[in-house]
Amino acid sequence: MDGFDIGSIPALAEEHRMVRDLVARFVEKDLMPLEPAVLKREANGERYGLTPEEETTLLAKCKELGLWGLDVPEQLGGADLPLAALMAVEEEMGRTVTPFIFPPDSPNLHMLLAVANEEQRKKYLEPYARGEMRSSIAISEPGAGGDPAGMTTRAVQDGDDWVINGRKIWVSGVPRSDFIILMARTGEGKREEGVTAFIIDRGTPGFIIEREIPMIGGRRTYELVFEDCRVHQRQILGQLGRGYAPMQLRLNVRRLQMGARCTGMARRGLDMLIAHAKNRTTFGVKLADRQAVQWWIADAATKIHIARLMVRDAAAKLGAGEDVRNEASMLKVFATEMAQEVLDHAMQTHGAMGMTKELPLQLMASQVRVQRIYEGPTEVHKMAIARRMLRAAK
Amino acid sequence: MKVLVPVKRVVDYNVKVRVKADGTGVETANVKMSMNPFDEIGVEEAVRLKEKGVASEIIAVSAGPTACQEQIRTALAMGADRGILIEHDGVLEPLAVAKLLKAIVAKESPELIILGKQAIDDDMNATGQMLAALLGWAQGTYASKIESADGGLKVTREIDGGLEILQLKLPAIITTDLRLNEPRYASLPNIMKARKKPIETVKPADLGVDVTPRLTVLKVEEPAKRQAGKKVGSVQELVDKLRNEAKVI
Repeated sequence: MDGFDIGSIPALAEEHRMVRDLVARFVEKDLMPLEPAVLKREANGERYGLTPEEETTLLAKCKELGLWGLDVPEQLGGADLPLAALMAVEEEMGRTVTPFIFPPDSPNLHMLLAVANEEQRKKYLEPYARGEMRSSIAISEPGAGGDPAGMTTRAVQDGDDWVINGRKIWVSGVPRSDFIILMARTGEGKREEGVTAFIIDRGTPGFIIEREIPMIGGRRTYELVFEDCRVHQRQILGQLGRGYAPMQLRLNVRRLQMGARCTGMARRGLDMLIAHAKNRTTFGVKLADRQAVQWWIADAATKIHIARLMVRDAAAKLGAGEDVRNEASMLKVFATEMAQEVLDHAMQTHGAMGMTKELPLQLMASQVRVQRIYEGPTEVHKMAIARRMLRAAK
Repeated sequence: MKVLVPVKRVVDYNVKVRVKADGTGVETANVKMSMNPFDEIGVEEAVRLKEKGVASEIIAVSAGPTACQEQIRTALAMGADRGILIEHDGVLEPLAVAKLLKAIVAKESPELIILGKQAIDDDMNATGQMLAALLGWAQGTYASKIESADGGLKVTREIDGGLEILQLKLPAIITTDLRLNEPRYASLPNIMKARKKPIETVKPADLGVDVTPRLTVLKVEEPAKRQAGKKVGSVQELVDKLRNEAKVI
């Protein structure tokens, strides 16, 4: 079966290394200096985020540096970087807790690109790719998380319209979204068969934001209710009853992205661990001279290297159009668990200082904690990997 | 005005250099390499001169191994128009580099050459001056400000106790100091454009220059480890230590 071919992992092209270095500089000179203010606000119970002034300054800088539309196709005005280069950028961005996404913030771009029809391209995709519109995606339900078989939100046809009823949960970024992509059952099926994707505009009657749910790691998600929410059939995204496959496309990219982000977070943790271990003396011995600490350093460095290779490998394969569901699962499990361990060791090395809300370590650690659940919990991915292995064996 | 900007590949300024175990030099294997920061200031100044309409073309040139292409590419991404790599794998001393650059000048006829005042690896601070001498051109070293004036260039130099302002006739050589400018980041679109800009490769032999080293490095050593400071309890103790331990009074 696919997923086990370990070819040589191509090196980043020279210009992509330069882009990565440019982003690294932006992270160090423009994002990291904002961390104390961001952490202070978060510790004071204010929103985890940037002030409008901070955001405006950063956006202006991005415009100046051309850090805009990195994953947007050239015909839509973007830089169209290959996946391997995008992931190198993601890794750099993972090194800071200053919450910033290179504009446009468009996680659903590739799904829309794959299936939006001509009319939807004009109305949604183009403004979305220009950064003039934002969107979210609603998949999970209170009774069904990672398993589509339990999905109960249902859309029923009524003439040219579809009427949607149901409930969605853990949806990010809803208040600032101009539209959401909603997964609903339109036909029978054991798993993802019969699930259709709909584009729902903000303000559509019957689309209700039920409540905001604060999460650890400074984030917030939303629970949504659909009550006789009526949309025209032109709001169907892709094919009727086949909404899941294009979403899978998005999920694979997303899992790679999480792997790269976690690699960056672990790197920051290791950098801080090393800096502190070289400075701090306890009982007359430098922490850096203690074997327990040295083993943490060695393990972290090794695992960061492994995670980065896994990202590169999966990115190269996905970029070449290969099926990387298995690689994405392995990476998702390995990188999130690895980052959790490295950050925990970094906190442990810092002692009481590692427990403070003045250092980014605690915030990163709780963000990684979330990532072990998001986009499929570790155990679900392990189940899927094992199932593929068992199926492939004679 | 055509401007030539030589750029050197050096160990990145953030890297803590380590001496090789055999004492022949510093470790460069698996070490991050970058453009010499003073050369980066030189590229920036050339690009600013072009933006002001003073410079018409900027040529970045580097002498060293094939990998120096990376530094040329960085200069191209910052705004240089094309590059020349003088490919050579061995040691290149300042005089050899100055001779190589002189040969490039003969081919390209630039009116201005902007170099870093020194490279952060060997801190020689010699190439610019040697090149000026070989060419017989005017030179303004340690420039902290460059303006075009009276058909030439007015260069402000940082010297002991103040600033010296020189009027240079063209063609001229300028070496940059830290405060001349703050180099820009190469933007993403410019990085992509740099990919298509040409880099020509030549060998020292093609330029008729003998680059055989004239110096022999005897030994490279780490600086002696500094002793930790001591806290003294009284003036008496301090005087005692100065007299008997440090033996300075």
